[in-house]
Amino acid sequence: MKKFKRRLSLTLRGSQTIDESLSELAEQMTIEENSSKDNEPIVKNGRPPTSHSMHSFLHQYTGSFKKPPLRRPHSVIGGSLGSFMAMPRNGSRLDIVHENLKMGSDGESDQASGTSSDEVQSPTGVCLRNRIHRRISMEDLNKRLSLPADIRIPDGYLEKLQINSPPFDQPMSRRSRRASLSEIGFGKMETYIKLEKLGEGTYATVYKGRSKLTENLVALKEIRLEHEEGAPCTAIREVSLLKDLKHANIVTLHDIVHTDKSLTLVFEYLDKDLKQYMDDCGNIMSMHNVKLFLYQILRGLAYCHRRKVLHRDLKPQNLLINEKGELKLADFGLARAKSVPTKTYSNEVVTLWYRPPDVLLGSSEYSTQIDMWGVGCIFFEMASGRPLFPGSTVEDELHLIFRLLGTPSQETWPGISSNDEFRNYNFPKYKPQPLINHAPRLDSEGIELIAKFLQYESKKRVSAEEAMKHAYFRSLGTRVHALPESVSIFSLKEIQLQKDPGFRNSSYPETAHGKNRRQSMLF
Amino acid sequence: MVTRPLSHERPGRPRSPPSKRRRAAGATPAERAQPLCRDLGLRAPVKKSKCPSCPRELPLQGDASGLSPPGSPEPAARLELQAFRDYGASWYRFRKGLEGKFHPREPLAQQPQVTAEARCKLISWLIPVHRHFGFSFESLCLAVNTLDRFLTTTPVAADCFQLLGVTSLFIACKQVEVHPPRVKQLLALCCDVFSRQQLCNLECIILSKLHFNLGAPTINFFLEHFTHMRMESCQADAREANNAKALAKGMAELSMADYAFNKYAPSLLAICSLGVADQMLHHQNPLDLHISGYPERVLQDCTDKLHLLVSLNGDSLPHVLPLEMS
Repeated sequence: MKKFKRRLSLTLRGSQTIDESLSELAEQMTIEENSSKDNEPIVKNGRPPTSHSMHSFLHQYTGSFKKPPLRRPHSVIGGSLGSFMAMPRNGSRLDIVHENLKMGSDGESDQASGTSSDEVQSPTGVCLRNRIHRRISMEDLNKRLSLPADIRIPDGYLEKLQINSPPFDQPMSRRSRRASLSEIGFGKMETYIKLEKLGEGTYATVYKGRSKLTENLVALKEIRLEHEEGAPCTAIREVSLLKDLKHANIVTLHDIVHTDKSLTLVFEYLDKDLKQYMDDCGNIMSMHNVKLFLYQILRGLAYCHRRKVLHRDLKPQNLLINEKGELKLADFGLARAKSVPTKTYSNEVVTLWYRPPDVLLGSSEYSTQIDMWGVGCIFFEMASGRPLFPGSTVEDELHLIFRLLGTPSQETWPGISSNDEFRNYNFPKYKPQPLINHAPRLDSEGIELIAKFLQYESKKRVSAEEAMKHAYFRSLGTRVHALPESVSIFSLKEIQLQKDPGFRNSSYPETAHGKNRRQSMLF
Repeated sequence: MVTRPLSHERPGRPRSPPSKRRRAAGATPAERAQPLCRDLGLRAPVKKSKCPSCPRELPLQGDASGLSPPGSPEPAARLELQAFRDYGASWYRFRKGLEGKFHPREPLAQQPQVTAEARCKLISWLIPVHRHFGFSFESLCLAVNTLDRFLTTTPVAADCFQLLGVTSLFIACKQVEVHPPRVKQLLALCCDVFSRQQLCNLECIILSKLHFNLGAPTINFFLEHFTHMRMESCQADAREANNAKALAKGMAELSMADYAFNKYAPSLLAICSLGVADQMLHHQNPLDLHISGYPERVLQDCTDKLHLLVSLNGDSLPHVLPLEMS
């Protein structure tokens, strides 16, 4: 019996020719693709004769319905193909794909090759068998995956040009559309001129640049892709999230240029961030402008939250402002689904100043409310000219919070007494202080609103959507609530930026501040 | 059978600081590993004698992460429900609107080598892999979606298919997990047949082919959404709602591996899975499937298919169920 098996497995290995023919076909397809305009591979008629037609495919598959559990691949596959994939005899469901990969290199190979002869004819099985003793070379892999000669992603502008992505089953139309976009220069590095370096981090370098297409200034964020762990998480998250976010109060991702070694994100250029804006006006902002900025933060945030996108790292450095006073949320790189960043990728500690107490106390379960605490802190900072809770450690941060808002108790924060971390800190029992003492320039409505942001219990915090309707914003009129998403609030004539009292009339030279402010764009 | 404890630490991998929560799961690595082995023994891809297993200590609850750590000020469910009240309707509208754009109906139609059987195997393998690492159901859904959409763009050789599977999982985890897996771990899962460069290269290819469109609406999202809706309705039974969700999640996992279910949109699969779960658990207040907006005929078709799927997988369904239900 054993001998028989061995012979069978020899037969399998000997069937190189079939595999070769398949590889050849794959090559042909690649060539065909490369000759096509934008290298989008489309398998036309070049299907190998061995492949199943869609019909037989489905038919065969429906057949599997009659077989017992899908979980067990040998039964799913049904009949011949099932045993083909060389399930180990012991009936375990392990090593489905893996088994094939290692076949012949361990003691189980005999078992594994216990297939019947009619199965040998399937191309899939042969193919799997064939890679027994070789590592797949890079070229091989690229060929098999039909790697385009140059990868470019021009569709950052699809929406701009009012073209929606076509459905999956119409690759032809997408091909032609993409070709036309790349013809006018999207997705090409040549389209952008680097002007000056704004900053550099471990994973990315940011340049100020200019687009030859529009003559507009842009921020070019060049992300290096060659890392031990592949493309940085930040880049993947930032790009996939920002592509879907099109709003007047969210920084626009104009274009993505993808080359072998780097990924360049082309953002609209904004002059400064809120931190620098506050510095430039000597930390005395016009209270009217505070209102306009807060409204724009909420507007951008409400848009994100409506899409279940949380920012998680709101701070003045991440809020960019242009000369018109338009404020935009930036830096979504740290926005993960389930974590709060503790360190940037350059290993800098993320600031704790805008972090809510529940997160500081170790809660990892939260939703949109996580961003609202930070909004309160930023609101206060704009109104008073100094950060609300500038803690240097988690304990220090909590201490500052409790000293102002009062140490929480089971009554003011249900569940807090069972929080181990809170008990371990053993904070003194502070009484809450009136916020007005610390931000005397805020009117009573502003004070009321800020208190709604600074709630210990995150579910009690006001949502961005609701906060926009607060009486504090009544002076902005009603039309501001009805604006389309992509339209700036400054398009309304009743909404205008005022001169900030502390504003120093400078033309913002690139000072040391200028360098610092871009840091947030980097990581 | 098991030659190494599952929590075996690989050199060079920074160890996450041990938390009380993990401690509580088992006193020793061996103890902790035990239930996992039981689980993995049935379906896991790793040959434990050869392939180093997951280096991280895994919280036992796996993706049943609705549980908050002890002492957490607010349970996740309540918090999420509050956010749902604020934004649930627009989350749903938005994702529902994106569904068509992200739904690959026939990912294998253009594939010369990859078959439905191979896809089933790969996904049946990815399911225990994602569980083994303690990744969320959301990650799995995203991985399968990435895989399928990539298949619509590019012919893949059968012997690269497994690499495509782990790379899709890699990309999905980078989006939503706190600790995405290491390349080394993923390569080890494939018994080092592929190189680091191949994986990273494939990652780049996938990202560019999909133009970084990675945020697909998932079955997971719709399961959560319909469950929240149910909780918000007047005669809500939280226990029934949670049990139905857990069972439906198991069913959804099964359906993902089955190519015949590719034609159904995630929202349809989610609502029908919940319906079938309600029937199976004989719930007093079953979910009204029409809240999904699907016509009766469509709901019925998908429900019938799910019933069939469940009846064919009677013995393996318990394994995909969250611990509290099996």
